[in-house]
Amino acid sequence: MTENGNHGGSSYEETDSLALFIGLKSKILTYTSATQNAASQVDMASTLALLFGVPIPKNNVGVLMPEVFGSLTDDQWLRALELNSWQLLRLLQAQLSGLSQQSFPCNDSSYEQSSEFTKCVGQVEQKFCHFFSKATVLHSSWKSKKGQTIRSINGDDFRNAVKAYDEFLRIASEWLSRRATDKPLNLLTSGVAAMFGSSMIMLRLLFLLCKQVFFAEKQYLPNVNKYTYNWDLDELFVLGAILIVVLGMGSSSMVEEEQYIWHFMTSTLYLIFLRRTIQSVPAGPAPFILNVFNGKNCSNYSRASSVILVLICGRILRGWHQGGVNWTHLPDISKWLEQAGSHSIKSIQIASILAIISLWSFLLYSLRSKRGFILVVQAMFLISGLLVLLHTMEYQDHMFAASGYNNTSIAQIVYASLGVTVIVTAVASPWVMYYSISKTRSNGKPCLMNYFSIANGIGSPLIELIYSSYLTGLAYTASWCLLQLLLQQPINALPILLIFLQTLSSLVYFSTGGIQHKLWVEVAALYFLGMAGHFGLGNSNTLATIDVAGAFIGLSSHSTLFAGILMFMITFASPLLLLLSMVMHTSMKDMRNLSVSQDADMGHLLLSTIAFPSLVPLSLNSILLTTFTVVLLLMRNHLFVWSVFSPKYLYVCATTASVYAGVTAVAATGIYKCLVFALLMRNSNGSIRNPR
Amino acid sequence: MSPKTTAKAETTQNETTQNGEVVVASKNAFLLHLVCGLGLAVAFWFAHNIYAVNLVSDPAQTLYLIWVIECPFVIIPYSLFRWNPEKCSFLKAVVRGFLGLPAGALLNTFGAIVLGAPVGSQYMKRTINWSLLMSLFTVVPAASVFGSSWKDWQRLFAYSKPTGVLDYMICIPAHGAAIGAWFGAWPMPLDWERPWQEWPICVTYGAVGGYLAGIVVSLGFTVMYGGRQQHVKGD
Repeated sequence: MTENGNHGGSSYEETDSLALFIGLKSKILTYTSATQNAASQVDMASTLALLFGVPIPKNNVGVLMPEVFGSLTDDQWLRALELNSWQLLRLLQAQLSGLSQQSFPCNDSSYEQSSEFTKCVGQVEQKFCHFFSKATVLHSSWKSKKGQTIRSINGDDFRNAVKAYDEFLRIASEWLSRRATDKPLNLLTSGVAAMFGSSMIMLRLLFLLCKQVFFAEKQYLPNVNKYTYNWDLDELFVLGAILIVVLGMGSSSMVEEEQYIWHFMTSTLYLIFLRRTIQSVPAGPAPFILNVFNGKNCSNYSRASSVILVLICGRILRGWHQGGVNWTHLPDISKWLEQAGSHSIKSIQIASILAIISLWSFLLYSLRSKRGFILVVQAMFLISGLLVLLHTMEYQDHMFAASGYNNTSIAQIVYASLGVTVIVTAVASPWVMYYSISKTRSNGKPCLMNYFSIANGIGSPLIELIYSSYLTGLAYTASWCLLQLLLQQPINALPILLIFLQTLSSLVYFSTGGIQHKLWVEVAALYFLGMAGHFGLGNSNTLATIDVAGAFIGLSSHSTLFAGILMFMITFASPLLLLLSMVMHTSMKDMRNLSVSQDADMGHLLLSTIAFPSLVPLSLNSILLTTFTVVLLLMRNHLFVWSVFSPKYLYVCATTASVYAGVTAVAATGIYKCLVFALLMRNSNGSIRNPR
Repeated sequence: MSPKTTAKAETTQNETTQNGEVVVASKNAFLLHLVCGLGLAVAFWFAHNIYAVNLVSDPAQTLYLIWVIECPFVIIPYSLFRWNPEKCSFLKAVVRGFLGLPAGALLNTFGAIVLGAPVGSQYMKRTINWSLLMSLFTVVPAASVFGSSWKDWQRLFAYSKPTGVLDYMICIPAHGAAIGAWFGAWPMPLDWERPWQEWPICVTYGAVGGYLAGIVVSLGFTVMYGGRQQHVKGD
């Protein structure tokens, strides 16, 4: 124990201990040799095993302590050394392939082993072979001379044999214990350097893109300093939040209670957005409450109310599962619901499913297009939604009888229908939107539908492309929500709805006009929402909160691959939802940009559709991955390295995989859309040049 | 000027511009901040010695005592510096300040709960008292001085661009209290198992520390800006 009372670490005061042996007769002659010996703690296992006469544990890397065996005869003493050497040699053979696999005769009769070790290859193995064979040769020569009465030669032989054994034991023990703690430094350094290099490349790219976008926009504004980059408060805060998260990784309590950090950072960021909204509320002579239905104040109110909705949903999510490690016993909403009974949980689950179905039906309907394709998509979603509802109502979670073949088949049908819907929507929507005649008249409510009220007369294929992109994004988001409603625990149905509401409100906030934030801040805010929602669904940084039961929904036979994929999808539901919603985000922003300035810029489209939504999550994640790898290497001797830091590293790696998956989906969709757009533009130009 | 405005200052160093707005001299600013700080010290002393409570042992009672005692020390001096002494009497400014107290408490409660403060019946008294104290630091000075002039509130709190000594006196301690409370929340998720890691103890320490730091910074700005102003007037 240290002077502060810490114990369990690896400092000298914490690992030093005392070993006391009491015996009947011993050959210890002096006081000092009895009390001032030091030995490694690994030596205890072999010493005690030999004292008891039981086999030495197979994986022991220690050497017996000679001072304890004072009461043994010479014969027994050499036998003990021989046993320890055999045990260490077997362990060496398991580690080094160069040592030949020999089986030893376990009796004293045959000693022709020196010739059998000529097959050792490798420098280290040769050394071990040499020492071991020397010891055995000396031992065998001592034994053969045992019967003779010349005591002095016997004594010399005995001491030589003991010395030879000691040498072998010492080098074997040292090599084996070092083997357990040595790291391949070259591999580690190159890995960390590669991670660091890639993260620097991504950050540099992102910074250059941001500067380019900023200066391109500033060209249109007069009287502004065009050469310095203006840092807004929300940008500074996002950078500060990343710094705080990175610093918090070095503290085990911050890693255990990471849900507090993400919730705090996300809520503060949205409070800063709220403050930004208040900046644009105009000061009228009359109290502004009376102007609430005035058109120009309406967008202010919709912005402010969407931010407040995000904040309230976030607080409810924070209170849903207590999470973490230290305070799991405190009450939270999910415990209260479980006390209220499974009937209330099931009714909340059904209500959430119905709410999500109606929300995206409303969003699809708000496209106000009578095209058959959209009706088909809507119908497919309704079918999937009803199937999920059916599965929920038939799901019996407290009965030990199998819930039936029906449930599994319903789940499989849901998987199939969602997959078909998503693929059909993603692949076919640009073509369908382009080739049918557009008669879109969108005059929804002025407050919430500003981004849809686009003046008639823009017949460019770009608007069709943006519509199809919006439809694809909605398809991704809605089907991911339905999938999660199927897979997650019943208690997590309302949190999925809350995260979906948060996503929609954020997208509405980002795309209503007025003061705009920089695009990378918006993508970073969505990423933060994803991480905060991840902890709101009950996940933590320990492996105990992974929902394994849900990974077998819809699987009729045990398959590790599919169960693993489903487990991954359940655990990373929230980050993937927010990444997939970036397709919707870019389409809504493009609609807003197009209604403001009516030129179609391919470069800008590429930037906003592919570059920013891909680069920002990749950069953020690469910062976290690199930093945590370095932290893990530095904390390898920490008390909590196995209980806290290693599971967190597993989660960090899995988060990286989820970010890659989401970014791949977004980027693939964007590239496909831009390719189709380019192809269609070329076709339309070609048909203009060749009139019939 | 009405006699009431000269009640506190020994010499009439507050001058009015053509619009009837008040320009504050540095000495008065210094006195005001001294009174506010003094009120806080008196409140803590009172709680510790007369009632024998402190923040750790009984947070709700201590916070109640602090905001009740600090209340007159904040409202009265700020009401003396009200924006339009011609159009609005001292009493009206004091009433405005008292009205601003619960309104600001609502805002601060919303902010605290959204940022993660615990919600529950055993925390309600503490949260209410804490938010009244925070409202006294953040909202009440602006309410006493400006009332319901939305333009000024927006300038001070939404844009954070104070323009005169009066603005510095209101804006900087308010921001200091809020930022201090934000930083004071950081020890809460750590597992040190100290009694002061509960809500709202360390947040209050942070808020008070931030408020005092804001007072010091505001005095610094006042000295710089007020010195420049006096120099101009001397010509």
